[in-house]
Amino acid sequence: MTSTWVSVLASYLHLLAVAVYVGGSIAMELVVGPAQRFVPPAQAQVIGQRAADRFLVLVWSALALFPVSGMLLFFSLGDEHTLSGTRLFTTTYGQTLLTMMLLWVVLVVNGAVITFVLRPRLVRRASARSGSAGTAEHLQTMQAAARWVSYITRADLVVALFIVLLGASMAYGHGLV
Amino acid sequence: MRVAAGFLTTIGWAAYLGGALVMELVWRPLQRDLPPGQTGVLCQRMGRRYRWVALFALGVAGASWIAARLAGNAPVSVAPWQVVLAGASWAALASLVLAMGALVHPLSHLRSRAGASSEERAAARARRLRAMRLMNAMLRVELCIALLATALVAWPAPSTPLITGGVR
Repeated sequence: MTSTWVSVLASYLHLLAVAVYVGGSIAMELVVGPAQRFVPPAQAQVIGQRAADRFLVLVWSALALFPVSGMLLFFSLGDEHTLSGTRLFTTTYGQTLLTMMLLWVVLVVNGAVITFVLRPRLVRRASARSGSAGTAEHLQTMQAAARWVSYITRADLVVALFIVLLGASMAYGHGLV
Repeated sequence: MRVAAGFLTTIGWAAYLGGALVMELVWRPLQRDLPPGQTGVLCQRMGRRYRWVALFALGVAGASWIAARLAGNAPVSVAPWQVVLAGASWAALASLVLAMGALVHPLSHLRSRAGASSEERAAARARRLRAMRLMNAMLRVELCIALLATALVAWPAPSTPLITGGVR
């Protein structure tokens, strides 16, 4: 009975993490992003930064929740035996799970690049002493960082959709890989 | 078919719930620090787009779930009470999104006509405020129903193992 409740909780948290990551990314891409075009650029930049700050908290929470709820779900169902020995590498189910875990690592690495490399470049201010050449260089760095954030965010969404497809193949079939 | 239906239902539902969560946890707190004029413009634009995205996502989730059931190829077996509650939740959510998109949201952005008297302007402002308060309440009810409905999906059916992540 306890195992059933743990499974229900794990399943709920897993679905919530999917909704936050995938649904949140879709909403940021299709609803919040395009609306910023209707306010002055300087204000749009501030709104974009604040929205991204808040959304990154949700993204990291979801990324942390995926493995925790996934493992909780897996063990509460008593499915460990299905991956004992070398089955993680030899069975379709195991290979699908392994692919999902590797893709999750890709999302974490991309998230870290955005949070710790690209975002600081976007929020850094130009130094008053650097002159017009310095300001132009700073602007170029910011534009390049914004482009990369956009590319990586879209790539992450595609990867996340593929992870959901793999998850559906495991839940409703025997795996996809 | 089972995998495709399960994938579409999950993606549709995730897109809907994730959108509602972003509106509540990202956009709503952001509004407090913005000038009212810009909040109005952004709110209007986002509201229009969000309405279509939410309806499309709900449509995909509902249609894929029903199609799989009608084809006798549902991803998982569920108890009758789960079917009834899921259907009722879906209908309630679709009605709320439609009501907000078609009625309450436009009311909250209604402008006074040029040359209106100060009483007319005050009355229009009061109507806008009422619509905004109603909109906030409806958004919270919508999010509560969506979160409860997610629990329905996670709930195990009597004769089957769990819906997600289980090895059949």
